[in-house]
Amino acid sequence: MLSPERLALPDYEYLAQRHVLTYMEDAVCQLLENREDISQYGIARFFTEYFNSVCQGTHILFREFSFIQATPHNRASFLRAFWRCFRTVGKNGDLLTMREYHCLLQLLCPDFPLELTQKAARIVLMDDAMDCLMSFSDFLFAFQIQFYYSEFLDNVAVIYQDLLSGKNPNTVIVPTSSSGQHYQRPALGEAGMLEGVEASLFYQCLENLCDRHKYSCPPPALVKEILSNVQKLTFYGFLVALSKHHGINQALGALPDKGDLMHDPAMDEELDRLVVRSRLYRTPRQHRGKEPGVFGFQRRGKLEALERVPSALAPTPNLYRWEPRE
Amino acid sequence: MIPGKYRSVSGRAANNVNCGLHLVIQTSTLPEKNKTEFRFSRDTSPFPGRLLQHDLERNYSSRQGDHINLVSSSLPSFPILQRSSEEKSLYSDRLTLERQKLTVCPIIDGEEHLRLLNFQHNFITRIQNISNLQSLIFLDLYDNQIEEISGLSTLRSLRVLLLGKNRIKKISNLENLKNLDVLDLHGNQITKIENVNHLCDLRVLNLARNFLSHVDNLHGLDSLTELNLRHNQITFVRDVDNLPCLQRLFLSFNNISSFDSVSCLADSTSLSDITFDGNPLAQESWYKHTVLQNMTQLRQLDMKRVTEEERRVASVVAKKEEEKKRESQKQSLLKEKKRLTINNVARNWDLQQRVSNNAINADRKDCASPPRDSCQLDGSTTSSLPAETGSLDSGLTSALQGLSVTDTHLVEIEGDTLSLYGSGALECLDRNWSLQTAGMVTTISFTFIEFDEIVQVFPKLKIKFPNSLHLKFKETNLVMLQQFNALAQLRRVDQLTVDPQGNPVVNFTLWKYYVLFRLSHFSMQKINGTEVTQNDMIMAERLFGILAHVASSELPQYRMISILGDARRKQFRYLLETKGKKPGIASEENNDSKRVMGENTNRATLNYTTKEWHNEKLEEIKEKKKFCQMYVEDLVKEATDINMKNEALQKLWPQMFIELVRDAVIEIRNKNTYMKVCLQQITDQK
Repeated sequence: MLSPERLALPDYEYLAQRHVLTYMEDAVCQLLENREDISQYGIARFFTEYFNSVCQGTHILFREFSFIQATPHNRASFLRAFWRCFRTVGKNGDLLTMREYHCLLQLLCPDFPLELTQKAARIVLMDDAMDCLMSFSDFLFAFQIQFYYSEFLDNVAVIYQDLLSGKNPNTVIVPTSSSGQHYQRPALGEAGMLEGVEASLFYQCLENLCDRHKYSCPPPALVKEILSNVQKLTFYGFLVALSKHHGINQALGALPDKGDLMHDPAMDEELDRLVVRSRLYRTPRQHRGKEPGVFGFQRRGKLEALERVPSALAPTPNLYRWEPRE
Repeated sequence: MIPGKYRSVSGRAANNVNCGLHLVIQTSTLPEKNKTEFRFSRDTSPFPGRLLQHDLERNYSSRQGDHINLVSSSLPSFPILQRSSEEKSLYSDRLTLERQKLTVCPIIDGEEHLRLLNFQHNFITRIQNISNLQSLIFLDLYDNQIEEISGLSTLRSLRVLLLGKNRIKKISNLENLKNLDVLDLHGNQITKIENVNHLCDLRVLNLARNFLSHVDNLHGLDSLTELNLRHNQITFVRDVDNLPCLQRLFLSFNNISSFDSVSCLADSTSLSDITFDGNPLAQESWYKHTVLQNMTQLRQLDMKRVTEEERRVASVVAKKEEEKKRESQKQSLLKEKKRLTINNVARNWDLQQRVSNNAINADRKDCASPPRDSCQLDGSTTSSLPAETGSLDSGLTSALQGLSVTDTHLVEIEGDTLSLYGSGALECLDRNWSLQTAGMVTTISFTFIEFDEIVQVFPKLKIKFPNSLHLKFKETNLVMLQQFNALAQLRRVDQLTVDPQGNPVVNFTLWKYYVLFRLSHFSMQKINGTEVTQNDMIMAERLFGILAHVASSELPQYRMISILGDARRKQFRYLLETKGKKPGIASEENNDSKRVMGENTNRATLNYTTKEWHNEKLEEIKEKKKFCQMYVEDLVKEATDINMKNEALQKLWPQMFIELVRDAVIEIRNKNTYMKVCLQQITDQK
């Protein structure tokens, strides 16, 4: 905790690095908004709950997009929450369109912008056919890259564009058969598909980028790994490689490995319990309350039955706590 | 001679001998009375021993036939008739030649005083050789093979002409028969009524069993009392009102299908007896009272006396029909208006959608100029009907109720369905609805209204239409699954229909499951017409159960409260805004929301906020955010200041401490001076 690097940072920088101020401001804001309700049970308790939820990653549920985007930890929490809530959809094997995934995102964040989802979809689909169906895992990993590293990706796009158009003096443009045009294209689409940029050059630029900016970038070592495997690559090729790379996923720390994506035994147990309970309530109308339920006990009033539930399902924080990694 | 009461029943209706004119020719039994009396009786006096004509004839003819000699004459084909003088003197004015197998009319010699001539049941093809019988009054050619009326031009005294059951195709050559009283042409092939207009003494005209297809050209028959047109193919009747004396008209077994085709009958004041049986008209349900209503002078219809009761009933029914017709006209007018309005609303909706799409695209492309067709969004477009605010109809439950029809929206209640078209229609929920009408409504259908606008009136809906169980949405811009969260506010939804037209959400694979999941406490029965099965519910739980779990148990307490509080506050907003605040409702709301919470706490936090609300809220928060930012900044500044000072202190402290110690040591170096200084200090203090 008291490592020399931390103590060496000047105050503001230290605070900014940890985004402490963001959370403080948000906490105070929440307090102000709900002061009537919160004042009932005490401010100290409120702050405890707030920061607990920040640690657990549940603070981003149903919050506005600006908050979710504010810190890397928020973004990672959001990704994780999305995974946990909708893993069942993936497990069911449904292939959904970009719009439907966007809907699911909106269930958790009402004003999530469509552009981000579209960009994520483009990574998966590699073209503009926005109505194609995507699998849950494909979308999720692409979305992770797009959302978590969105500023980084924007800059990468610019760099790529520059490289394509030859702004970098070190660029060697390999003429392809179909082109013969060297003028600048505004859109990234076709040029990126046909041509590509040299990987090593690309990597140099990216490295500069990572050094220059303090927002979250993928670990440079892993990026180097990706770029060292190929000679040339397109923008989307690069993104796809990013999204499928296990190391980056682990570095992010939000989602489990691809193989384990559908795997969450605790939640599955929970789900089973929920389903069973809902079955109990779905007894046909005529028989409501007259016969004993499936499990041999009289069906009590819904209210009582439900009230039993929260206690049984009190979250065990220790099981689900996870630390976001840098 | 056995006197014969010889009745000729004109108008040979096969089944019906009870009507028509009875021509009775009675001959006297005693030789003194040697004249023939013609008695025309008009009433239907039942004669017990009445014999039909042919029966009599059978007896009669055989006798007469004995006395007739048909001698072949010098002329090639015409036989000459001669009677014995005994016969002649006995029956000087009548001659019966029936069933004589005659193929031509024989030349009748020396019978110039003949008044009655009977040629029934022969095979005569042409009327000939009777021109000399100028005193003839009664000529009977029934059942022959005559094809054309001719040879009658000299018979100026003829009064009764019976030409039934022949092969006559056309009425003609009757010009000189101005005294004709009875003309019987039944059983022929006549297709049209003509050349009878001069017969101003004609009282009975029988054209039954011909090929007539219509009736007109009857003017001039000023004495006609009975007109028999049975068994033809008549489709319409005209000119009958020109018959001043017509009392009986028989139109049975024709092809009349509507009263309009015989409308002239209504104008005839003399008609008292009419038959229509066997016509398609008579099969109609409205037949009897229509006829009675239009022909109030009628005394008998289809051979049955018209009673007062029937007349009364007829007028009542006719009035009802009138009303019904007026009603249905009104309804069709309303329907037309409705259709036009709906078209109008649809058009507006399309324009709106296009404009908003353009706006979105324009935003995306960073286009500077606003779309040009926004000016067309004005509500009044090309509809030609004037805008009208309808008034509430009371009492009509089964009939269509068009309640409010204007150019831009439409509200309609039809039995148990309330239909709303156009966003203006949502205002109708502010109106006062009768409890009965509102209580009957179980289905509410929204068309061409933005879902976000509908959501805002859900609280009102709950109160005004408590029995609504089925909601239908068409062209309401349902695009997100989240929007279904709003339906949880309602008291109860049994069925949900979301029309794919105008609701992109239906294209999602998971939308039904999401609805079932979110609204599980409603135990919905049908979605878009398909039954909800147990498996569907289970699948819904499986897909989204974790979402509910996360949304409830993992949400920090204060968030839960704030979200639920928000929802409740929105619902209360409506109540606070209404004019008639009823405390009862407020507590009911409380109970409702409590019940809702009890039903499924784990889902209650999934709410729908329209974009507007969301943005509104964010706006509100902006101020607070700014304040918080400043506040925290201040805190941070303070903290950093303090930290700095702390650090500075940490740095400087050793030095300061050393200096302090040094100063102290230097002070105490000289004990005596120090003592003095201390004492001085003490005295100074006093």
